[in-house]
Amino acid sequence: MKRYLFAAAALLLAPIATARAETVLNVGMAAADIGQIDPHRATSTQDKPVVSWMFNGLVRFKPGSASLEALEPDLAESWEKSADGKTWIFHLRKGVKFHGDWGEMTAEDVVYSLKRAGDSKTSSFAADYSVMESIEAVDPYTVKIVLKKPIPALLGLVANYHGGNIVSKKAAEALGADFRTKPVGTGPFQVVDYKSNESLTFAANPAYFRGVPKIDKIVYRFIPADASRDLAFSSGELDIVYGRQDQRWVERFSKEPNTVVEVVKPAELSILHLNTTMKPLDDKRVRQAVAYAVDRAQIAGFKGASTAVPAISVVPSGYLGTDEQAKLYPHDIAKAKALLAEAGYPNGVTIKVIQTSLPTMLNSMQIVQSQLKKAGIDLQLEVVDHQTFHARIRKDESGAVYYAAARFPVADVYLRQFFHSAATVGTPTAVTNFSHCAVADKEIDAAAIEPDAAKQKDLWKVAQAKVIDDVCAVPLYEQLQVWARKTNVDYGYEFQGAIHLGPVVTELTNKK
Amino acid sequence: MSASSSARRNTVASRALRSPGLAFGFVVVVVMIVAALIAPWASPFDPDAQDVMLVLSPPDTTHLFGTDAFGRDVFSRILWGARISLTVGFLATAVGVVIGTVIGVVAGYYGGVIDRLVVAATDVLLSFPQLIMGLLLVAVLGASLTNLVIAIAVTAVPAFVRLARGSTLAMRERDFVDACRSLGYSDLRIMFLHVLPNILDELVVMASLWLAAAIRTESTLAFIGLSVPPPTATWGGIVREGFDNLLDGPWLAVFPSLAILAVMIGLNLIGDGLRDASDPRAPQ
Repeated sequence: MKRYLFAAAALLLAPIATARAETVLNVGMAAADIGQIDPHRATSTQDKPVVSWMFNGLVRFKPGSASLEALEPDLAESWEKSADGKTWIFHLRKGVKFHGDWGEMTAEDVVYSLKRAGDSKTSSFAADYSVMESIEAVDPYTVKIVLKKPIPALLGLVANYHGGNIVSKKAAEALGADFRTKPVGTGPFQVVDYKSNESLTFAANPAYFRGVPKIDKIVYRFIPADASRDLAFSSGELDIVYGRQDQRWVERFSKEPNTVVEVVKPAELSILHLNTTMKPLDDKRVRQAVAYAVDRAQIAGFKGASTAVPAISVVPSGYLGTDEQAKLYPHDIAKAKALLAEAGYPNGVTIKVIQTSLPTMLNSMQIVQSQLKKAGIDLQLEVVDHQTFHARIRKDESGAVYYAAARFPVADVYLRQFFHSAATVGTPTAVTNFSHCAVADKEIDAAAIEPDAAKQKDLWKVAQAKVIDDVCAVPLYEQLQVWARKTNVDYGYEFQGAIHLGPVVTELTNKK
Repeated sequence: MSASSSARRNTVASRALRSPGLAFGFVVVVVMIVAALIAPWASPFDPDAQDVMLVLSPPDTTHLFGTDAFGRDVFSRILWGARISLTVGFLATAVGVVIGTVIGVVAGYYGGVIDRLVVAATDVLLSFPQLIMGLLLVAVLGASLTNLVIAIAVTAVPAFVRLARGSTLAMRERDFVDACRSLGYSDLRIMFLHVLPNILDELVVMASLWLAAAIRTESTLAFIGLSVPPPTATWGGIVREGFDNLLDGPWLAVFPSLAILAVMIGLNLIGDGLRDASDPRAPQ
């Protein structure tokens, strides 16, 4: 009998022994599938952390930070700017290799990448780069960028974030459409396998310029059902898990053994965008009624104090230029009803809404739906899967759009993408202006080129006031990011902020 | 109607009454139907009223089945959910039975080309699993009450076509049909006044089983988010929302699941009981 027990034990231990040889990090994500992992196309929550594992910028956000103050050299070792702030010279690190056999990273790749990021055919962030007059390679290790006008945060555009990620020119040109699922960068990890609706697997980049990563392999698993993902984490199948952004989840997992729950910045601002061209929301009074009917404090209450706070403006708090004292419409059901009656809808209005089935977003929207109902505003939800939701709201099909987003921490980016008329959905330069907002173009444009910091802030403040007053959108609440890890996972830095909406896995990250 | 058939019907009825399973199933289903009917008056709370102070509170005397993540009363939601689940189930089955039976009787009675076409068509439809078929249709039509009924009814039609056709084929050769023909009755009259009553037993048995299947399909579709949009409560929808908070509030998923289970068992007992009672080979 004993012998059998030993044999059984040996059999059981065998797979563990082989697993030891290779350090595998299992990460669970709340999504059914990847969106786009081409760094210049990656806009969804599930895509951004992954991009940060594969790519570098000329500068980078310090791992674990989401602050513009903490940018540090990455592919560029040093840089200088001209006195007028329009010409920037970057000196590149030598001997940096791309993943696989795609060769050394040179100025040519940087020029190609930034131009690619500025082209709306290949990038979702093209508008951000329109400020660049020229980008040229002075020599293989020097890049010169000339701006049309000085801007508040040029380094942000060349950081390891959105369009600032540097891709391999050769690979992008040779792989064509395949680059979308097998992008090539210089980061500590590279994609080796993609199983649709299941997982994305990364292998360490042995030639990473900061050193060989301590983790050999990352398996990024798509588990959209909250309960299944939580169970997978509790049972030890996952080492790191995307946390549910709610109080109970944080409380429960904080109590679990060998688990660290981290609540990190940046806050994702949830906004209800109101389509100002669609009946009945084309009437400002109806939009005001919606604004009065929303009870921000209650939404934050449902979400829980440790992860959610009521929104303060149409730009997330803590961004450069956010008006922290913006005047929002207070919660007042009587006023909402009066405004509806005045607009000719004494019996209330019906608004057709396309809504994602993603639980966190659907739940928030159900709270809003219930609040608006008290004022006689009936939100009729058409619940569709997340990809369909993203596609259809961009076709201008929804009366109101619930959207939660964090952007580069400068007011300009948020205002430009959500409230500048150039970004209106359904137009060639569309980004995410779902409301067809056009009341603050002048201020947004003026602020972008205003050299005086105080005046610039004033312009942004006016822009926010105008957007709020015209009710292009109703700010709802701000949600911090929640991630949990097993105690044996050491990120190699203190995880306080995640500009990439998830932990950056660096060469120093380890699993003991 | 022939004398033998009405005599048989009497024994069917008496046997049915003596079957405890059938009686139990009948009681369960009737209770559910009554609950659904009186939901507007019987439910203690507004099923859609949210309360931030009562998020995920466990079952107690005020909230019998606890509250969900929005502080809504689960008991009230289950009562209201019964309306959707049972309505969809009954309507879809009724539509399926009527259409399927008509097509089946006509095909069986006339035979020939019509029959062959109908059989081929039902074979194609039957080759799709019921759930997949419902899923496809709802996905294409869009999720709404009417579309759910249509989608589930379509999945039920081929089964009833087959059953009605098979039984009609057997009836067609019987003497009383020949008698009707020689009396000069029209085909329509023979099919629906003489053949149909004689195959009704089997259809009713089948319908009670399909009713269970229809309710189950509705719940499954609701569970994967393809049912009436929120905030309307449906059993499958409540289970799904409860599933998100399974570890914090198991009662959320347990109670609606029990409701589904009870109706399933009830309907299956009725179906089994009716089948046993109408089986002429069963001991008297």
